[in-house]
Amino acid sequence: MKLYDQAQNLGIRVGTIQVVAFVLLTILGVRLYYLQVVRGDYYENKAENQRIRLIPIPAPRGAIFDRNGKLLVDSRPTYNVTLSNEPIKKIDVTDRLDDYAQGMNVDRQFLTERLDLIKKQPGFETMVLKENATIQDITWVESHEMEYPELRIEIQPQRFYPLGTTLAHVLGYVGEISPKQLEKPEMKEKGMRPGDIIGKGGLEQYYDDYLRGKPGYRKVIVDSRGRVQNEIEVVQPQAGQDLVSTIDLDLQQAAEEQLANSVTKRGTIISIDPNNGEVLAMASAPSFDPNAFVMGSATPEGRKERAKYQLDEERPLLNRAIQGRFHPGSTWKIPESVAGLQQGVITVKDSSLVCGGGIQVGNRFTRDLSGNHGTPNLSSAITHSCDGYYYRLALKMGLDGLKQMVENFDYDKQSGVDLPNEKISQTPKSYESYVRKRDKGKWNDIETVFASIGQVTVNVTPISMIRAVSSVGMQGRMYVPHLLKEFKEIGAVGQEGDANYVPARPSVKFNHPEPKIVEMTPEQNDLVLKGMWGVVNAGGTAGRFKRANWDMAGKTGTAQNSELGSGGAKDHAWFVSFAPAYKPEIAVIALIENSGFGASNAAPAVMGVYDAYLAKNHANLLEGQQIAKK
Amino acid sequence: MAAIIERRNFKDFDWLIAILAVAIVSFGVWQIYNAQPNESYWSKQIIGLFIALTAMFVVAFTDYRRVIDAAPFFYGIGLFLLVIVLIPGIGMRINGQQCWIRVPVVGQFQPSEFVKIPVILMLAKYFGTRKDGTLKLKEIFIGSLILAVPVGLILLEPDMGQSITYFPILAVMLFLSAVKMRYVVLTLVAIAVMMPVGYWVGVQTGKLKGYKKERIDVIIDPESADPRGYAYHTIQSMITVGKGGLSGIKGDTETSQSALKFLPEPHSDFIFAVTAENTGFIGCISLLLAYAMLLSRLIAGARQAPDRAGMMVIMAIVGELAFQIFMNVGMVLGFLPVIGVPLPLMSAGLSAVLATFIAIGFVISVKMRRFVN
Repeated sequence: MKLYDQAQNLGIRVGTIQVVAFVLLTILGVRLYYLQVVRGDYYENKAENQRIRLIPIPAPRGAIFDRNGKLLVDSRPTYNVTLSNEPIKKIDVTDRLDDYAQGMNVDRQFLTERLDLIKKQPGFETMVLKENATIQDITWVESHEMEYPELRIEIQPQRFYPLGTTLAHVLGYVGEISPKQLEKPEMKEKGMRPGDIIGKGGLEQYYDDYLRGKPGYRKVIVDSRGRVQNEIEVVQPQAGQDLVSTIDLDLQQAAEEQLANSVTKRGTIISIDPNNGEVLAMASAPSFDPNAFVMGSATPEGRKERAKYQLDEERPLLNRAIQGRFHPGSTWKIPESVAGLQQGVITVKDSSLVCGGGIQVGNRFTRDLSGNHGTPNLSSAITHSCDGYYYRLALKMGLDGLKQMVENFDYDKQSGVDLPNEKISQTPKSYESYVRKRDKGKWNDIETVFASIGQVTVNVTPISMIRAVSSVGMQGRMYVPHLLKEFKEIGAVGQEGDANYVPARPSVKFNHPEPKIVEMTPEQNDLVLKGMWGVVNAGGTAGRFKRANWDMAGKTGTAQNSELGSGGAKDHAWFVSFAPAYKPEIAVIALIENSGFGASNAAPAVMGVYDAYLAKNHANLLEGQQIAKK
Repeated sequence: MAAIIERRNFKDFDWLIAILAVAIVSFGVWQIYNAQPNESYWSKQIIGLFIALTAMFVVAFTDYRRVIDAAPFFYGIGLFLLVIVLIPGIGMRINGQQCWIRVPVVGQFQPSEFVKIPVILMLAKYFGTRKDGTLKLKEIFIGSLILAVPVGLILLEPDMGQSITYFPILAVMLFLSAVKMRYVVLTLVAIAVMMPVGYWVGVQTGKLKGYKKERIDVIIDPESADPRGYAYHTIQSMITVGKGGLSGIKGDTETSQSALKFLPEPHSDFIFAVTAENTGFIGCISLLLAYAMLLSRLIAGARQAPDRAGMMVIMAIVGELAFQIFMNVGMVLGFLPVIGVPLPLMSAGLSAVLATFIAIGFVISVKMRRFVN
């Protein structure tokens, strides 16, 4: 053709264009091969990850009941507004915070913090922006579904403590697992994830593994805006096990009432069944409302309320029953009496020692605060709380004797109560090295004298004291105090053999350890018991609380302390007891901080608990009786 | 007399080109359906195909030489359309671009798609009549001017993607008009150098910023791009393509990237990603082969063209199609930046299909008259 005659290489130029076009298509083909064949699985994975979402279904936590089936702790459904993590990877929500704050009526600062948190912890699926959402909040979120698909309404069972401050120290509370706790290997082992709710303090913490259920999940397909399109799979949650505690709510309330009516409204009352260690009541005042740690815990108001508890000088968060350490005063004389007999310093036949109204140690005379009791025997010394007697007894026992007594009565150990963070008592055994360091290697007699009446080097937890003293009523058997009666069984979830099958959890009862035996002969036991009986029934220090049909054995204590200012602070008042004296059903201890005499302040509180016990269990005994009330 | 012409015309009609084009559009309709089964894009595309086929036949049976003679007239109409689309009230503003004209019965059409044809004709007329010797600078200048006026108007809309697709027309025209090879080489080298330099200067001076920079950055390093930002399109497109694997997803269309709306613009600019997801590597390669066959067939027609202008029209169309395919698929496969270039014959859009079929009608017309003279 004429076209190609011209010397312009037209044919070659057309060919060049053809080659270029084919090269371009080949480049596309190679790239396609790379993306689809070589990297196909990688992108398939990516696509699946962005469309499949696991939405957790929270498992209800087990409820807690008292021994008679009265509800102590429950979970109730609440609505939360949550922020989903996935969509906010694609959209920046920082400039939406103002809208959120206004729409849901929450603090903007708080939202900023929550957003930071979710960005820092990629493990979060969702983050709660507002707890206990109101109808208005829910309406707002739902009507803005198109604009803010990252917001969701989630129903969540929330822990609820219907009794408020009652039994708060025993129950504890729950809260979101902290980043620090998440680091712990045992938490990782349990598969804990950010945002999970765990027990913090009390039974909630101690038995968290039983109370906590196994959350289920919904596996869903979402679109690019995070809206759920389809449900692939639902795995139902398994609820936690219900806990039946040994607590008797009536006694508990009676005990708390006594503390509330006390002079300083600070102290603790514990009641146990000495026959097995079951804790019937454990009150500590002042108390706190666990709901403050659960509801709105992440809001500024909630934080303020918690800070108030934490900064309060009266320390309402402290469980004085197991974490408070106090000089026991004369209540210390009961284990000391047993130890004196055990160690042969005194005998059943010859237990008399001089009182002398006090004792001269070196150039210092230490008085018996209640006068001169002559030469009493052991029972009489207990009944009248003769200090002079115990100064001499302890000096005979010596430091080694005191240390042996400490070991015998487990004052160097935790009681083993099923609560977290129990403190160990401080005794001459634990103080010895400190004292010797201070006094050039010596343990002076005056230390023994002070220790003999539960002062200076003796600082015990009320739980260890009631445990030790009630052993006198039990021929030396000291049971481990405990709050768990049993966990109820919970059924399996799903069919056996399924991938998501969760087996049933069987009922669990408290595993009673063998009681610790404090060695004493029946005669020795009788002698000490007689003294304790006399305290109430034979004109002893608590003589005015004698009852016709209710034999109590007890010991008062009035412990000097210099903790709250020197000299200004009043003594701690103690009364530790069990009844009936010769066949105990119940033991009660009361400690009222800085209230004065044990007989005037602690003993009436104990009586209040006995009254409640009698009204419930031995109503006939109360007929025609004058009830001792303060 | 007329009957004789008709018979010869039908015998010489290049059915293969028409069948290939229709096959690709039909394949495209299926993919548009896959992309948005609940929208009417796919059914509109079928209607578009019939309108386009009619237009193709009309153009094919028209003597292209008379049309080329009338090129200035069409060119003028084209410029007129590009001007009125800029007038508020006539042109429709969609996504910040004013590139649509609403027409009462037809709906809406995009002048920039159609104006390519008068531009091709105008350039073919200008360069087709010249005789021997290498291209003079003056000729290059006039050719560039013919292109620059409509491209300038399109940039005012602004429609970057469409305006870019005009350049291969001029490139092909100049190349075939015996521009000196050293200019060609020089231009290629200049482009190769200018791209990285331009990027660097753009970033340094702050001229290149925002979404334009992000769209380029994701090509360079997709893994470290912000998936929420303008890299989103590229990342999702690559996921969609890769997910298709060797033979594509089977069933389960509810979880496709387009059904879940992860893939943006699945029926238009990203239709190739939908194809890749649904038909896999096999389907995609088949489609690319179909394009290759179509281009080969067009080029074969160019070689047989009875005159220089006819050849140039065909080759300009070839260059234009090849360039658009490369730009669009390159964007979908994540190695070219996201600019709105539709995939010829595949992307939903009446204007594009119609324009492409009119161009193909031209090619057929040129081929049919290869034995004339």
